[in-house]
Amino acid sequence: MPPAPPNADEGGASATDKLSICVNTQTPLVQFVSQLPKRRIRGRGVLRLSELKEGVDYRYSPGGVTRMVLPLLRHLRQDGRVEGVHWVSLNPTGPKTIDVDGIILHSVTLDTPRLRSYGTIKETISGRAHGVETRGATADDMFWSDDYAEFAHYNRLTAELMKDLDKRHDFDLFYIHDFQQLPVGHMIGTLKPKVYRWHIPFETSMIPTQWTEPLSTYFNSYDLIVVSADKYLSSLKQFGYQGRVERIYPYVDPRDYSRPSGKEVAALTEGMGIARDDRVILLVARMDPLKGQDRAIRALARILKRLPKAKLVAVGNGSFSGSRQGLGLSKSERWRQELTRLCGSLGVTDRVLFTGHISQRELDALYERCDLTLLPSVREGFGLVVVEGWLHRRPAIVTNRAGIAELIKGGKNGYLVDPEDIEGMAEKISLILDDTELGARLGRAGLETSRLCTIAEGVRSESKMITELVGGEGKW
Amino acid sequence: MVNVVALLTPELYFVAIILATWIVARVMTSITARVMSTSTPAVTVQARRAVKLLVWSVGTILGLGVLGFNTEILTVIVTLLGAGVIVTLRKPLENMGSKYFTDVYVPFRLGDSVSVGGHTGKVIEMNSISVVILDAENHLVSVPNTVFMEREVVNVTPRAWKELVIPVTVGNEVDLATFESEVMKSLDKLWLHLDKRFPPVLTTKSKGSQSTELTILVYIQSPEERDMMMAEVNKRITETINSMRKTK
Repeated sequence: MPPAPPNADEGGASATDKLSICVNTQTPLVQFVSQLPKRRIRGRGVLRLSELKEGVDYRYSPGGVTRMVLPLLRHLRQDGRVEGVHWVSLNPTGPKTIDVDGIILHSVTLDTPRLRSYGTIKETISGRAHGVETRGATADDMFWSDDYAEFAHYNRLTAELMKDLDKRHDFDLFYIHDFQQLPVGHMIGTLKPKVYRWHIPFETSMIPTQWTEPLSTYFNSYDLIVVSADKYLSSLKQFGYQGRVERIYPYVDPRDYSRPSGKEVAALTEGMGIARDDRVILLVARMDPLKGQDRAIRALARILKRLPKAKLVAVGNGSFSGSRQGLGLSKSERWRQELTRLCGSLGVTDRVLFTGHISQRELDALYERCDLTLLPSVREGFGLVVVEGWLHRRPAIVTNRAGIAELIKGGKNGYLVDPEDIEGMAEKISLILDDTELGARLGRAGLETSRLCTIAEGVRSESKMITELVGGEGKW
Repeated sequence: MVNVVALLTPELYFVAIILATWIVARVMTSITARVMSTSTPAVTVQARRAVKLLVWSVGTILGLGVLGFNTEILTVIVTLLGAGVIVTLRKPLENMGSKYFTDVYVPFRLGDSVSVGGHTGKVIEMNSISVVILDAENHLVSVPNTVFMEREVVNVTPRAWKELVIPVTVGNEVDLATFESEVMKSLDKLWLHLDKRFPPVLTTKSKGSQSTELTILVYIQSPEERDMMMAEVNKRITETINSMRKTK
């Protein structure tokens, strides 16, 4: 934990040689278990997270905001490059302002009907980008629905808050993450540098033609767009984006991952119901049809006759969108029920374990315990869980529709499969489970590849990008 | 009961007037600075000086009047000076007035390609006095706003006929996010007559202490409906603002 700056309530005084940044994500860094009593919000309404208890009052959001954005900001602050950081996100149950070690979080709140409408549009965009149809608005009428008006309402609230903060703190840079926040860059309307990070897949063939003009307008309001894989670079250009595009692989901080002892691994995993002789296929993903858990179950069913000790361990539950603290969409629970039914119909119920959300320690134990990690996503912006597996020297089987597929060299550090090719997926799983030495070799090579996706590499790339945008090294 | 007014001597009146003039001058220069916050700083400084001079001129004449001085000559001088300033600034003032009308009634916006007064190019700046066009030879052409009122303007941008750009001023008592979503919902009802590829886009131009200047851009389906759609869209925007004010 870095020390809090002296003027933490205001996000730190702006020294001339240090940058002040405004970050925007849909998912908040921390989610509050319930509405906090007002007595806990003191002074000028800034609540210090350090005065609350993790797990009781709040929890860190799983996924990119905690794994990537927070470590990046901490590194930039520790290096003395950045001083003031204000972070705006949707946080319906959160206090207005929260101080996390000098990083000031600001909450945008929406009432329940607006949240629902916003969620509908979000799901429609995400679904189309991932190549699946969703309920609710269709591609044709999406921009002409009341739901879209509420989607715009949320983005406008966010932009207005960011503009107000800019008046007070005179930011050097706006860094906007998540496809849901795309209109924010246009709505802020500032000439200051605006960077946008698009995390989900972006393939022109997936985007309805009716969306081209509006999306292109929004994309072109940014000075630089960061994507997670090389294949998305050309897609953005084809889409009419005229600005600069960079590929920066998503990254993790290896220090966040530990290797529990063999004894601890055994205790933790046996406690979850994993037997000593089970051959574990680990799938870490939120409960979402896009993540392809159904494909993994079907592949498992095909290998069980020959490898009866194979066991699929599915870790994860809903995303922020599915949580009660978030948008309250119940799709993760529905999907979980569908998967349970599928396991029953295939007769593999006792060979599939759904763990739900688990602690980092338990996850580390599972990575240590598993024989391989599997990413069967229908489409995936990148796939950081593969990198997590690599940090534990575990081989990976990844669908060719994931961004991280471009780092997989078949037979060297993992295998690529088509998400529709269940037979092929089963075959590759068998290959690794049958040959322990092969799995170990692929895992070691994976560890080497993972260096492309570490916080050190990420900070280097992001720092370079920010330096160029704000006017060179002299500003730092 | 003591009549306070009767106690006031001309000298005290004079002091009161000078004090009031000082306050009014400060308030007026401050308002001028806010109104012109997006103008060139040099122009803003000159405008503030002019406003300050005007207020002090009036205040001084009133003050000297209560002291018994003959201020007729002074009044004539100030009036003549004022008239002189207006005559001198006639062209800039005409251009400023034309800016309002061109914003509302002449169909082009930043980024459009237009032909006017023998010049063709891309509109890259629209200020109080002129519209700056970048022509094919990369020359900057400054066309006074009055020209857009007096001469034919041809917007040669593809699809320009589709664009309806409606300038809107929304008081800060109206929540901008709610205003935007309500306008979008209201315009959704016209969607058969709007180009479905382009949802309405609200762009904020400037935000002052009292109000926000913005534009709402919609694309129409058919050129014949342009006039009717302009009226309908304007009506819906006005209705939205009014209903939000009432709700407040």
